[in-house]
Amino acid sequence: MTALAESPARRRFDERFLRRLETLELAVRRAARGQGRGIRRTRRAGAGLELADHRDYVPGDDLRYLDWNLYGRLDRRALRLFEEDEDMAVDVLVDASLSMGMGQPAKLELALQLGAALAYVALANLDRVAVTALGAEPRGLPRQRGKARILGVLGLFEEVAATGRSPLSASLRGFLSRRTRRGRGVAVVISDFYDPAGPRAALDLLRAHRLDPIAVQLTAPDELAPVLRGDLRLRDVETGEAHDLTLSAAAVAAYQRRLSGLRRELEGHCRERGIPCFSVTSDQPLDAVVLRMFRAGGLLG
Amino acid sequence: MAGLGWLFSGAVPAAATAALAVIASGIIVALYFVRLRRREVPVAFAALWLGLAGAASALRRSRRLRHWLSLLLALSIVAALLVGAVDPGPAAVDPTGRSWVILIDRSASMSASDEVGTRLEAARARARALVRGMNPADRALVASFAAEPTAESGFGADPAALERGIAAVAPTDEAGELPRALAFAAAVLRGRPRPTVALISDGGFTEDARRAAPAGIELRYAPVGRRGENVAILSLGARRVPSDPGAVEAGVVVQSFRSAPAVVPLEILSGGHLIDRLRVTLAPGERRSITLADLFAPGARIEARLAAADDLETDDRAAATVPPLPRRRVLRVGDADLYLDGALLSLGRTVVVDRLPGAEAEAALARAGDYDLVIFDGVTPDEQPSSGRFLYFDPRGPGSPLATRGRIRDPVLDPASLRADHPLLRHLDLADVNIAEAVRLTPGPGDRVLAGAFGAPLVIARERPGLRAVVVAFDPRGSDLPMRPAFPLLIANTLAWTGVDRAGAPPSEAALPRDPRESDTRPIARLELGGREVPALQVARPRRWPRAGLLASGLAALLLIGEWISYHRRWTT
Repeated sequence: MTALAESPARRRFDERFLRRLETLELAVRRAARGQGRGIRRTRRAGAGLELADHRDYVPGDDLRYLDWNLYGRLDRRALRLFEEDEDMAVDVLVDASLSMGMGQPAKLELALQLGAALAYVALANLDRVAVTALGAEPRGLPRQRGKARILGVLGLFEEVAATGRSPLSASLRGFLSRRTRRGRGVAVVISDFYDPAGPRAALDLLRAHRLDPIAVQLTAPDELAPVLRGDLRLRDVETGEAHDLTLSAAAVAAYQRRLSGLRRELEGHCRERGIPCFSVTSDQPLDAVVLRMFRAGGLLG
Repeated sequence: MAGLGWLFSGAVPAAATAALAVIASGIIVALYFVRLRRREVPVAFAALWLGLAGAASALRRSRRLRHWLSLLLALSIVAALLVGAVDPGPAAVDPTGRSWVILIDRSASMSASDEVGTRLEAARARARALVRGMNPADRALVASFAAEPTAESGFGADPAALERGIAAVAPTDEAGELPRALAFAAAVLRGRPRPTVALISDGGFTEDARRAAPAGIELRYAPVGRRGENVAILSLGARRVPSDPGAVEAGVVVQSFRSAPAVVPLEILSGGHLIDRLRVTLAPGERRSITLADLFAPGARIEARLAAADDLETDDRAAATVPPLPRRRVLRVGDADLYLDGALLSLGRTVVVDRLPGAEAEAALARAGDYDLVIFDGVTPDEQPSSGRFLYFDPRGPGSPLATRGRIRDPVLDPASLRADHPLLRHLDLADVNIAEAVRLTPGPGDRVLAGAFGAPLVIARERPGLRAVVVAFDPRGSDLPMRPAFPLLIANTLAWTGVDRAGAPPSEAALPRDPRESDTRPIARLELGGREVPALQVARPRRWPRAGLLASGLAALLLIGEWISYHRRWTT
């Protein structure tokens, strides 16, 4: 940790950031304890020892886990669910495309800090954590366990720059194709979800690969309230396409409505699929974002 | 540097203006096309911006029109700036300009109040109007004149400096000396282009002053003054009356310059107190001398004041210092006479008394020329003097100025014989004087009997060329006259009467600080110099609006501000 702090090249994550991570991890534990959950658990029918909940029986369910007592009393067919401790796989996927380098402050900065923080909490939770930066050339670390591995994560993120020109869904497709261990797990996607295919495409792709996605959508403040007016040439940083436009106040308002619609579409899709989704602006403090995410539940808990 | 003089003269040549316009327009157009390059803005996701309502394509015709309007606005700003720099005005038409000397009359008559304020204030207003209506290429100097000309400003084109010079012109009580003022103006204008003198005056100059006009100089005349309703005190004199040191005799000369008869109250003051007041009626143009006798003025200064309101106040007052009485030398010839000495002593230090015994009466007669009065008290020289001033008491013998016919005892003074109007008997009361004995005198031709006792003259006055003599037919010591106030008064009156045509008390002239000619305030609407009428000064109307250049500069500033706001508000491109 000392070496990390002393290296002049490593300015994104310094010793002070590490101390923040430790403090954050303690705060997350405290928050989780207050809700009766401190480690990652899954709810499965019958696999655990502790009854967690019931759900309605559907044809095909194992009849061994049917709650016959309930059926006898209420004439209702319900399946018993048990909580089971699980050695969970967590993939932290940070979008490092060119669009993530935009904004004041740049979205990528908060995305990397957020990814590091989530990885640290998961590593401290003895989960198996893999991190991947989805840039022009995806770089990542394989799944590993233990809090000490965070230095590798930070080392990786320190070198990440916004370089990718591919849409998020295309980058994820490449990531998934390179996966060697195909199993269930959680995939935290930190991105602006600016994808010509739509924001839901990336999440559907993960779900198709048996990964439970968690969406963290980042937006910069100047994207939410741009001050652009007049005759401009807008150049897309990822595609390089230029468009000559004359922007009026009405046009900017329409843009804001469209951006808001995109965010609502993502949130609605996540809600439908039970995917945790968090909208974050790049000027928000890391601590507040992380605590909000954990307090909201559904994330590592 | 001389070639660039037009930059500072306010007169820009047309070729330079055109060159400036072409260069500035070229620069603006070039800059405008540079500005047409759109500002490139990188965005994270351009798809969010495409097809938005309100986002216009740059190729639309209205957008092109806005481009041209924007260029037109920029060129308008340049044009306004050019107009502001060139400042088109009379200077462009009259590039050489005039050289003005603005001559303001500040003589006494310019203090007349027949204009709004005074004539001088009206002259200042005319001068200010002239300055404000001057062409930018004109240069001027403000000068004022009365007895002497004075430059009130430098020679320049700064209206503020010229107006400060105009405001500095102060009235005087002097007469206006036009020839000196014109000579001064000619000296100032020598060698300058289009020399012009603007004479602002009421035109009250003498014939001599108007005899010649300056050569090589255009002269313009701006008359001030509306009427000449004035009455003036032209002179004031005063002197002491020897018989009464507290009394003053004053002479006042007043003149009316009005076109109608005038009745004006004349007041005489001494020590701030009114001591006499009379009404003077004057015909148009009449000058009258007024003598005021027996004024009680113990102070050394008297003041005359015309209480009527007229156009010029400065000549409604005059003050004069009353001179002290000169010392009189009196020779008393005779034996000791305490009564007579006492009476002479009562005249104070204004009388110096020498004494000779009666035996030296002949010698006294020889020295009579050295004295203002020789008193023969009970003695009479053998010869009658042919000149000099004498007072005889109880004359006798062959030298008596009047023939004697014996003596008369206990004469009773006849009140009807008293000539109280004669200066010798002024303030005297001789009605019940008791006299023990008197000599009976026979008056000669021309002698005046001022008091008598039923056929016997008692007091006789003789007046001949070079000779004045008063003869009292009795010895005062043989009467109760010395016991009465009339006795010293008789001595004083004698001194006064005999000294009237000698040194006496010469009247003082009023110390008038002004020239009496200035009291004639009748304005001269048309002034002739050298036999030719001076053209009237045509004063251009002052600009009610700022100069075109200033307006254009202001317009350019407004356009720039508007363009700046519209551009940054993205209303224009």
